[in-house]
Amino acid sequence: MSKKNEKYESTLWYRLKYWVNGEEEDGIVEKETDKYEAHLKRVSVEDRVYRAFSEIPNDGEEERAHYEELRKELLELSKRYETWPEKRGVKIFNRIYQVAAVILCVFIIGILLVTVSYLPEFGNKDNPSNNEVSERYIEKGLEETGATNIVTGMILDYRAFDTLGESHVLFIGACAVLILLRVDQVKKENTTKEEIEEANTEEIYEKDEDTILKKVAFFLVPTIMLFGIYVILNGHLSPGGGFSGGAIIGAGLILYLNAFGYKKIQRFFTYKTFSRISIVSLLCYACTKGYSFYTGANHLESIVPLGTPGAILSGGFILLLNICVGMVVACTMYAFYTLFRKGGM
Amino acid sequence: MTPFVYGLLTFLLACAIAVSLSKDLLNSIIIFMSYSLIMSMIWILLESPDLAITEAAVGAGITSVLFFVTLRKIHALKEEEYEQEE
Amino acid sequence: MFEWIRFGIVVLFLFGGVIAACCAVYGVYRFHFVLNRMHAAAIIDTLALLLVIIALIICSGLSFQMLKLLLVLGFLWFASPVSSHLISRLEVESEQEIVRKECEVEKR
Repeated sequence: MSKKNEKYESTLWYRLKYWVNGEEEDGIVEKETDKYEAHLKRVSVEDRVYRAFSEIPNDGEEERAHYEELRKELLELSKRYETWPEKRGVKIFNRIYQVAAVILCVFIIGILLVTVSYLPEFGNKDNPSNNEVSERYIEKGLEETGATNIVTGMILDYRAFDTLGESHVLFIGACAVLILLRVDQVKKENTTKEEIEEANTEEIYEKDEDTILKKVAFFLVPTIMLFGIYVILNGHLSPGGGFSGGAIIGAGLILYLNAFGYKKIQRFFTYKTFSRISIVSLLCYACTKGYSFYTGANHLESIVPLGTPGAILSGGFILLLNICVGMVVACTMYAFYTLFRKGGM
Repeated sequence: MTPFVYGLLTFLLACAIAVSLSKDLLNSIIIFMSYSLIMSMIWILLESPDLAITEAAVGAGITSVLFFVTLRKIHALKEEEYEQEE
Repeated sequence: MFEWIRFGIVVLFLFGGVIAACCAVYGVYRFHFVLNRMHAAAIIDTLALLLVIIALIICSGLSFQMLKLLLVLGFLWFASPVSSHLISRLEVESEQEIVRKECEVEKR
């Protein structure tokens, strides 16, 4: 490889591209293993000692004996040095870890308890959440958010930041399932016999698909998708919204997968598209509503005009946020299903 | 309208108890599906159609599908036994 | 007078649907073999649903709601027979011994 290529590989952009694509970083991984081996060579103390004493001077027997003693001592020292992290180090680290975990838990519990003591009494009829908040939502909801459906106005405008957290929870759930159940990438190196058998049975199941199911899914899947898209786009006008529409689209994807098999769905929905869609929509959401950090959670006023209530292009950011949430939910539902069933997408 | 609501609520209670009492896992999942269907009807009667749609799509649809797949993964369904005998 | 005739037709269709559903539910518990029970359960999805939705269409009259109800009917008639078909196919594939004993089903 030329120098330019190497420079390009070490740039941040190259790594980001690989990371986004989710491919195996061949060049980088090889380099890292080389580095690791070199590091091992450098570190192992025995080697150093041997190297240092490889040229023993031939002056006299006394000096040679002295050198050999030194060598033995150094070897013992080096062994102790190398086994130290396994014997003592792990123990000490575990102690510190436990103590730190307990301290952190106590700290968080204390903060939460202190916060609870500031809250008004539970169930008191004079609480602001029982009177003023709901009054405000009902009376000024249409005026301030521009959404005919007050529920969507509440979820995606007054409490847009909470919904951001919700969609992140979904994304994190998908990530956790991915970590726990994914098999196809690791498969090449270490698989048990059972896993291979399971994969084979899956393939057998896929072979005899049902013609009736195929013919019906050919008509049903577009209808379900269309209904889901309608529910998402009309979220601020009629009942529905991002979450329910996304769930409907996810169910449509699952039906498509069951009817036509993995090969057909991989033409338009793979792991790449999953990660790209969910990351892009979460970033989009965070960019449009993340500024409420700096305005003290007061993010009602925006540059986008509210429009006439009742039209599709109204309600400020609500339409965009609905689409984002719907994308994340649909991808997550489909990812859950495939990960549970096959362990990959 | 009220007798209808009372009937739904009793069905809801019966389903909720039956889910935990039934010994077959598959049965309890199907009862759970009916539980969320009744719940979505109650949401509609309480005039919150948003929640009803979500409940029907997530509770009755996707959750139970995930449960079925999980049961198959852990070899708790009956069909697995027959396949292994073959 | 016309209203009363319409009311009578609606009640007739609704009762027909409810009776069909009741028969199907009774059949689900009465039969022991799985495919018979599937047949009984599929009646609810098709016949009872058809009667009830016809009653509702007559009740709502010529309006946009009628089209929605027809859409519901079409969707459910597409979806639910397929689901019962898949369940019974799974049954035929998995429990072969009972199939041989109780009735003659061609195993695929």
